[in-house]
Amino acid sequence: MIKKITLLGSISTLLLFSFMLLQPVSAQQQEKLRGTIDGGVIRGKPIAIVPFKVLDGSDVEHQIHEVIAFDLDASGKFESIPVNDFLSQPSKDEEVRYKDWRFINAEILVIGEVWNIGANKYEVQFRIYDVVRQQQIGSGKRISGLSKRALRTAAHVISDNVYKAFTDSAGAFQSRMAYVTRTEIEYQRYRYRLMVADWDGYGAREVYSSWNPLLSPDWSPDSQQLAFVGFNNKGSIVKTVDLRTLEDETIAEFKGVNSAPAWSPDGSKLAYTTSRNGSPDIYIYDIQTRQHTRISTHYGIDTEPSWSPRGESFLFTSSRTGRPQIYSYSVNDESVSRMTFEGTESANASYNFDGSQIVMVHEGGQIAVMDEETSRMTMLTNAKFDESPSFSPNGDMVLYKTEQQYEPALMVASSDGRVRTRLSLVSGDVREPAWSPLRK
Amino acid sequence: MNSKLGLMMTVLMGLVLTACASKPAPVVEEAKPAAPAVTAPAPVDNNAFASGYSVSDLASQFGINGDPLNYKVLYFKYNSSAIDERSRIIATRHAQHLGGKSGTNVNLEGHADERGTRDFNLALGERRAQSVAQLMNAAGANSKIETISYGEERAVDAAHTEAAWQVNRRVEIKY
Repeated sequence: MIKKITLLGSISTLLLFSFMLLQPVSAQQQEKLRGTIDGGVIRGKPIAIVPFKVLDGSDVEHQIHEVIAFDLDASGKFESIPVNDFLSQPSKDEEVRYKDWRFINAEILVIGEVWNIGANKYEVQFRIYDVVRQQQIGSGKRISGLSKRALRTAAHVISDNVYKAFTDSAGAFQSRMAYVTRTEIEYQRYRYRLMVADWDGYGAREVYSSWNPLLSPDWSPDSQQLAFVGFNNKGSIVKTVDLRTLEDETIAEFKGVNSAPAWSPDGSKLAYTTSRNGSPDIYIYDIQTRQHTRISTHYGIDTEPSWSPRGESFLFTSSRTGRPQIYSYSVNDESVSRMTFEGTESANASYNFDGSQIVMVHEGGQIAVMDEETSRMTMLTNAKFDESPSFSPNGDMVLYKTEQQYEPALMVASSDGRVRTRLSLVSGDVREPAWSPLRK
Repeated sequence: MNSKLGLMMTVLMGLVLTACASKPAPVVEEAKPAAPAVTAPAPVDNNAFASGYSVSDLASQFGINGDPLNYKVLYFKYNSSAIDERSRIIATRHAQHLGGKSGTNVNLEGHADERGTRDFNLALGERRAQSVAQLMNAAGANSKIETISYGEERAVDAAHTEAAWQVNRRVEIKY
């Protein structure tokens, strides 16, 4: 037994060491975990994204091809080929030679150009090729009226175009995420900030801040508001903030705990938890009538409601059988059914866009995805302290919080668990990430 | 008040305060204190501070040195809001103490360890504070008792260890 412990000790030391070696590869580090089926290596479609040619001078700070590569690699459905391997770097249609790309086993090619056409005014043109079929997908597209900042948005638009052309779902790279940071301003005095950034962590801006803890951000379906949990001097309260005006509003500040807000898919209601009547139960707040209705009445802890895509039911966490498990409440017949049976505990569940999958925190700190129909569970991570998972709007990725070498980090995993990518643009004491819906 | 008991409490409180000054954080499984040197066969009070235990039993079994009133943090098992015997003794003692006065505002701050989700832990911290409030009310606290939960947001010890989790799962009695 002692031998085993020593062995484990040295393995973890080794792991730590190799991690340190791998650490500073690039600002946006990607960790690929390849599983195998039938002995073969599963991998994403090899894609070559040529550095966009910058025309009409001046530097372009955002490397468009790198943003696209990061997007597509993180999905697990593509695998970008290093630029160093390229035999040519075309930017125009007539410069494309398919054999150059077949030679390096690229199946997809993306090329493009950037024009600086004025002060902080840019245009981007791009073309996507199916190398295997030796044909261009559609014809070239032009995105104009771009500020320097929006060049990154243009890159995400191009990623979405590639995604749509080569997978069976829409890309989600124009979506955003919310998260909370904690900063020690003076000894043991913390400032909590609710932040919103591009999905990859770029362009973060503060939308609310407080000297008290902030948690549980949840996006309104139109992605214009966030509901979240803050504190007043009597305890936790549920609030919302409008992302355009930054005006905040208090939704629930009853005696006891108020927490875990969740917008209904039509945006008309917020489900949340309060212990105003003693036991933490789920309530529904009607935004129009401002009425609070008690839904669950069990003496156990009921919390973390999360709506089904059509709003006919919501998932929630309950300790009614002891350890926390996931249950579903049907709005129509007011019935409760237990959803999780595997392991000792599951919590903080939410659906993907079509309700076919549920992501949750399993065994207190492991991210798991469960198939709604078969209840089969796949572990996305095998860590102890992972939390706050949410699906990308297309369901192909999961955003969550982890710890890497004792540092909090935001991660994105492909929903099959094959690729995990750290969002290094977000650093510090980060927590509570939440993926937005697609902008409407 | 019985003057003999009063004197004893003063002496013990002095002892406890000295002990506390040198060792600030009371931990549940604290090392056993040195056994009180009882030379003269004095009659043992088996209901010290109305706890149902002798002073030496309080110390040896629960790590409560002297008056339980000097302890203000109660600890819990993982995912549980059940009150153990140590917590019962301390909370009851506070309730009795408060019952003698009136109009004291008491705040019970519930906390959880980092395991499990943040929202669940908010509810769990509230549960813990509520269990203590119920006990204190039943024991005649005669005070305005408010509960507040910080869930896992205000850990005493940020380490990912059993020992850290143990001190973080707590209710703090404040008045």
